[in-house]
Amino acid sequence: MPNTHSYKLSFSILILVLILCFFTNISLGSVSIPLRTILDSLIGTTDNYIIQNYRLPKAITAILVGSGLGISGLLMQTLFRNPLAGPFVLGISSGASLGVALIILGSGVFGGVFATLFISKWSVVIAASLGSFLVLLAVLLVSSKVRDTMAILIIGLMFGSITAAVVSVLSYFSSAEQLQQYIFWGFGSLGNLSWNEILIFFCIYLFGIVLTVVSIKALNTFLLGENYAKSLGLNIKQSRLIIILATSLLAGTITAFAGPIAFIGLAIPHMTRQLFNTSNHKILLPAVFLFGAIVMLICDSIAQLPNSGYMLPINAITSLIGAPVVIWLLVRKRKMMF
Amino acid sequence: MLQNKHFFIVYFLLFIITSCKEDKRLNRTLPSQPEQAKNKYAEGFSVIKNDNYSILYIKNPWPKSEKHYKYALIPKENVSKVTLNKANFDGILTIPVQKIVVTSTTHIPALELLGVEETLIGFPGTNYVSSERTRLRIDNKDIRELGKNEGINTEVLLEIQPDLVVGFGIDGNNKTFETIKKSGTPVIYNGDWVETSPLAKAEWIKFFGVLYDKEKVADSIFNQIETEYLKTKAIASKLTKQPTVLCGAMYKDIWYLPNGTSPEAQILKDANVNYLWSDTKDKGSIALSFETVFNKAKDADLWLSPSYYNSLNSLKKASEHYSEFKAFKNKNVYSFVNTTGKTGGVMYYELGTARPDLVLKDIIKICHPELLEDYQTSFFKPLE
Repeated sequence: MPNTHSYKLSFSILILVLILCFFTNISLGSVSIPLRTILDSLIGTTDNYIIQNYRLPKAITAILVGSGLGISGLLMQTLFRNPLAGPFVLGISSGASLGVALIILGSGVFGGVFATLFISKWSVVIAASLGSFLVLLAVLLVSSKVRDTMAILIIGLMFGSITAAVVSVLSYFSSAEQLQQYIFWGFGSLGNLSWNEILIFFCIYLFGIVLTVVSIKALNTFLLGENYAKSLGLNIKQSRLIIILATSLLAGTITAFAGPIAFIGLAIPHMTRQLFNTSNHKILLPAVFLFGAIVMLICDSIAQLPNSGYMLPINAITSLIGAPVVIWLLVRKRKMMF
Repeated sequence: MLQNKHFFIVYFLLFIITSCKEDKRLNRTLPSQPEQAKNKYAEGFSVIKNDNYSILYIKNPWPKSEKHYKYALIPKENVSKVTLNKANFDGILTIPVQKIVVTSTTHIPALELLGVEETLIGFPGTNYVSSERTRLRIDNKDIRELGKNEGINTEVLLEIQPDLVVGFGIDGNNKTFETIKKSGTPVIYNGDWVETSPLAKAEWIKFFGVLYDKEKVADSIFNQIETEYLKTKAIASKLTKQPTVLCGAMYKDIWYLPNGTSPEAQILKDANVNYLWSDTKDKGSIALSFETVFNKAKDADLWLSPSYYNSLNSLKKASEHYSEFKAFKNKNVYSFVNTTGKTGGVMYYELGTARPDLVLKDIIKICHPELLEDYQTSFFKPLE
């Protein structure tokens, strides 16, 4: 196991890379803006609308989304001791999708009130949060009855199926315009948030992170198995509750604000474990934070197709760039670190 | 019972076709030169007239379609004189059509302009229809609701037994239309939406003219629309001042606007305005990042059709960036989404294709208010 010194070095490098990615992300875009103007507008001497109100919020959103999804993925994988678990597995994002589908597509079925509601962005955010929260509530209710974490996992997947079914019924009765809106929400997007929205996003995100930090010890104990954890005096039920709550806060709010971003939640923890070679959450957690943020910034820079005027949906890039990296890491290391 | 009726019709048609073999020979002995009615703009359909019947060709019912369709249209009085091999055609029907089902609101103005709207007996999504005349017939239950275009309620359609279904397809894979065809009801794809110019789209009224044996009426209606369009274009072309124009809006962070050669951009060009993306070459719409659009159009004088947003407030709610555009600040944002029929259907989508002259006048009235002083816009209204 690498010593503390080498961890310090790795973290320093990662932090440097993150800063570099952050500035690269801000300086790249469809419109070419000279470096001087970028720096001036970052410190507020030049009023460049694109930098201050578009690229900067986008870069910050990318950091919140990447780190938040990575961490919630790590939490789920540890809690369920399953390498395939991710924030979406509990049905959290399915719940959010259902909420959004009801708002966007629901006007086709229910008409009236929904039709006037569906264009407001806040209604989408509230619906997504409410959707994921309700699913979480159901999962928590079930988890208090069912002791087996695997059963909770399967129940989460079932929620996903139910959601998909309801969404398809809603889609069938919706207009092309509404369908397009819903599909575009599904593509994910980082660049559509105002500073106010980012502030609210950040507050909820921070709460999720605090809950995660509180659970570090419990997470390390969970890796040993529930029975073992119990014998170490861990309050399993309470810890499980806090971890699920943290995940749903992180994943729920990210899905609400940026849409369902694929791949990051599942893959970032694996990438981090491969590179850091540890399962200690004191190391893993900050590493996943940095990795998630870096990968998301890189994906966003690519999605912008710098200097072209066109851009790609962020979801396509996260999977297209991320999945081969994970495959390459697994092939190189020849085994899965878990 | 229904099926029996249906078999009877098919049998009857076959009987008519097979019983006129003698006449076919007669026709062969006296061949005459087929006469092709030339379209001025539309490329998606053509009509060749033979002595006793016409052949309607449909070329481009959807983008990049390779299949061509061929329909025989036999005037009622000539049915006994013509024998045709069914296998050579995608459909054989008697004209004028007595009972029709159309599937797009853009088809409805053509029926009304030709004065044959009473033949319409079914429509998918009747709530989208705005025209008062047709709405009245829907309210009187003379027009049946058929569900949705991609999943037309086949049972209801078979029950009402139209002579013809005029469909449209995004590709050739509409299973419902295949089922309808199998049942013996001809389906003709209308490709007005694929045409690349506003006048070409409008010329599709001639397609309906052929189906109702009212070609001359259709010709004169189209000529009138064309004359009006060109006259209005000529008035605008004399001006030297061109306001700059931005179009479209964002879906998430991707901004969609019409390409330089799209029909929308052509109308803007004919209205003599400086559409900021008029130099783009592709068809359809162009997808750009917010940065690109903002950089180029933040000082544009006018902003037309910002997607489905119906007020300045709803635009701002969707994205604060919108409020940074000069056109937004000056309340120079115009949209057609607030001009709707009784049940919420957008008039522009229904009538805009058939009446490009009105669309052009709208744009000119907005961009050059000093012209067309007495004209009230038909579709576009400023967003409040």
